[in-house]
Amino acid sequence: MLEISDLEVRYDTEHGEVHAVNGLSVDLAENETLGLVGESGCGKTTTAKSLIRLLESNCTIAGGSVELDGRDLTDLSLKELKREVRWSEISMIPQNAMNGFDPVYTVGEQIVEVVQAHESDTSKGEARERARELFEKLGIDGDRIDDYPHQFSGGMAQRAMVALALALDPKVILADEPTTALDVVIQDRLLDVIQDLQDEMDVAMLLITHDMSVVSERCDNIAVMYGGRIVEYADAETIIKSPRHPYTLGLRNSFPDITEDSQDLISIPGAPPTLVDPDEMCQFAPRCPFAEEECWEVAPEPVEYGDGHRVECHRADEVEYLRSEAEKHETWTELESTETDDELTETEVKND
Amino acid sequence: MRKFIVRRVAYLILTYWAFITILFLIFRVTPGDPTTLYIPEGMSQAERQATLERYGLTDPLYVQYVDYLRMLLSGDLGTSYRYNAPVWDVLTTKFWNTIFLMAGAMTIAYTFGIAFGAYIGWLRGTAKEKYGMVLALIARSSPEFWIGIVLLSIFVFQLGWFPWGGIREIGAEAPASFFDRYVNWGFVYHLVLPVLTGAIYYMAQPILLMRSSMISVLNTDYIEIKKAEGLSNYTILYKHAARNSILPMVTVVALVAGLSVGGSLVIETVFSWPGMGREMVESVHHNDYPMAQGAFFLMGSVVIFMNFIADIAYAFLDPRVRYE
Ligand SMILES: Nc1ncnc2c1ncn2[C@@H]1O[C@H](COP(=O)(O)OP(=O)(O)OP(=O)(O)O)[C@@H](O)[C@H]1O
Ligand SMILES: [Mg+2]
Repeated sequence: MLEISDLEVRYDTEHGEVHAVNGLSVDLAENETLGLVGESGCGKTTTAKSLIRLLESNCTIAGGSVELDGRDLTDLSLKELKREVRWSEISMIPQNAMNGFDPVYTVGEQIVEVVQAHESDTSKGEARERARELFEKLGIDGDRIDDYPHQFSGGMAQRAMVALALALDPKVILADEPTTALDVVIQDRLLDVIQDLQDEMDVAMLLITHDMSVVSERCDNIAVMYGGRIVEYADAETIIKSPRHPYTLGLRNSFPDITEDSQDLISIPGAPPTLVDPDEMCQFAPRCPFAEEECWEVAPEPVEYGDGHRVECHRADEVEYLRSEAEKHETWTELESTETDDELTETEVKND
Repeated sequence: MRKFIVRRVAYLILTYWAFITILFLIFRVTPGDPTTLYIPEGMSQAERQATLERYGLTDPLYVQYVDYLRMLLSGDLGTSYRYNAPVWDVLTTKFWNTIFLMAGAMTIAYTFGIAFGAYIGWLRGTAKEKYGMVLALIARSSPEFWIGIVLLSIFVFQLGWFPWGGIREIGAEAPASFFDRYVNWGFVYHLVLPVLTGAIYYMAQPILLMRSSMISVLNTDYIEIKKAEGLSNYTILYKHAARNSILPMVTVVALVAGLSVGGSLVIETVFSWPGMGREMVESVHHNDYPMAQGAFFLMGSVVIFMNFIADIAYAFLDPRVRYE
């Protein structure tokens, strides 16, 4: 239903062009929940916002396409996008719902506003009725549509936000870390409610998070993002149980509780790439314990390993070796020392 | 909401009482003998005693205070030494002259300033924003008298469109009734340039404040959500962004409106406008203390009242305050 192909999104900054999304391809089927995981700064938010072109002024979509039911959204004018796509086809839930509502209007007024902006023949009464029904579906008393945002608790505000997101019966919801502001119990309950409604209303969801345990429980498929690309994509079970990309292996190490067998927390050394005018290479190479010469020179092409499992890594074939090595602490710590050496020589060279 | 208003009214009364008491003390308990301050020199001892008695200045302080309160409550501000007429009568004329001038200037400055500030905040980072900022900064750094003189030289000395100053034709008698005095073209004709001077001078502040307020509101999540909702720019700009940005302006408007009752000495001087600003300076100059006290009383009253209105308006505009 939603097909993103070779998407390129760039920020123009004083330091150069930031290739925040760098040739990203991924599909989203009807009613599917796709988890998008990756470290901070890898381009998750930029990817989501570029779908509805909700971009900062220094940001442009430099290439690729976003097809929703066969229509390329990147070809639409901003006016068409506002009228025909934003909220009616693709809506979103922000990180902190409390800040997602305008504080000076009631939640009901804001739901009515968006409904009437898109459906000119819906009366105010009908729109209110819809807001009320949505509230009740989400387990909030219908009368509370007349409350102001600050009168809700955090969890309830987040539900109200879901009601707002569903008001126009969209095809896709973009949920950018929708639960990070909530405690674990409320977070779980909210995700349950969303999932029920998703089935009932037939909505797909792009769930962005850096919490591997959330995606492993909630998603049908998982896309692992690194340096503006999807480096590994598969169904949730495959990503958790049998990943092939060293980065996914590393991510899994940093959430030990998602797999029964792994023991202690090992984090990936080094920092994510800045993505400023990136070179042609595997972006993960500088932090990868398994990087070879080829990795520094050629960007890996995606390779399929059956059943839609897609990996971008030159050494993905050596999966048994990668997995056994990746479990060891030394694999990741040894790298740290060699890398600092590299950096030193690099700065020395620059100084000359 | 009702509780909120009741509480504010209580505050209002308390503040007001504190204000008039302080006003009383400032004018009576100044260091040294008040008579040396307020009574013209060159009087004989007997004359002086008589004057003091006439104005009740020989009574003990608490008697004076009670008298003072009683007079205020009955709307009596005393008698001006200089005009030898009730302060109230002299002041009301000046007061209304000032109100027309300042209310006109402020209304233009704030309506235009807020709308314009919201717009250039919205256009953040574009060339248009820069030009807008340059205009605002020019207005901000131009002294009032300079604006007045520029307007005078263009519209009076060059074009001859407007009179050089005053409030009505030279030599014309002031009509007795309020209506005849202010509701006519002659008055409006004299009003234009002073109002314009004030409007330009006072406009910079709302533009700059509104712009910075707007910029912080535009960075909020809810504005992004409104954009994602596909609402029109117009709706987002005025219904959401400006509506929220205006909140901090309310307090400023109240304060400025209150203070502006004191008139603008500079504008009144440049355009020979008989208003409160000049009157206050003159009365202090001539040791006409009932007059000065009356002027301060009027100004303070308006400041306090405007703050009260601002509190109430704020509660209407911001539900977070209302439901506190
Ligand atoms: N307005 C901007 N100007 C310049 N660069 C930006 C801007 N916004 C984001 N970037 C850069 O684009 C890259 C991707 O940012 P993005 O916000 O999409 O990451 P993210 O994966 O959502 O991170 P997080 O998990 O912290 O939310 C980062 O390297 C970031 O520094
Ligand atoms: Mg993000």
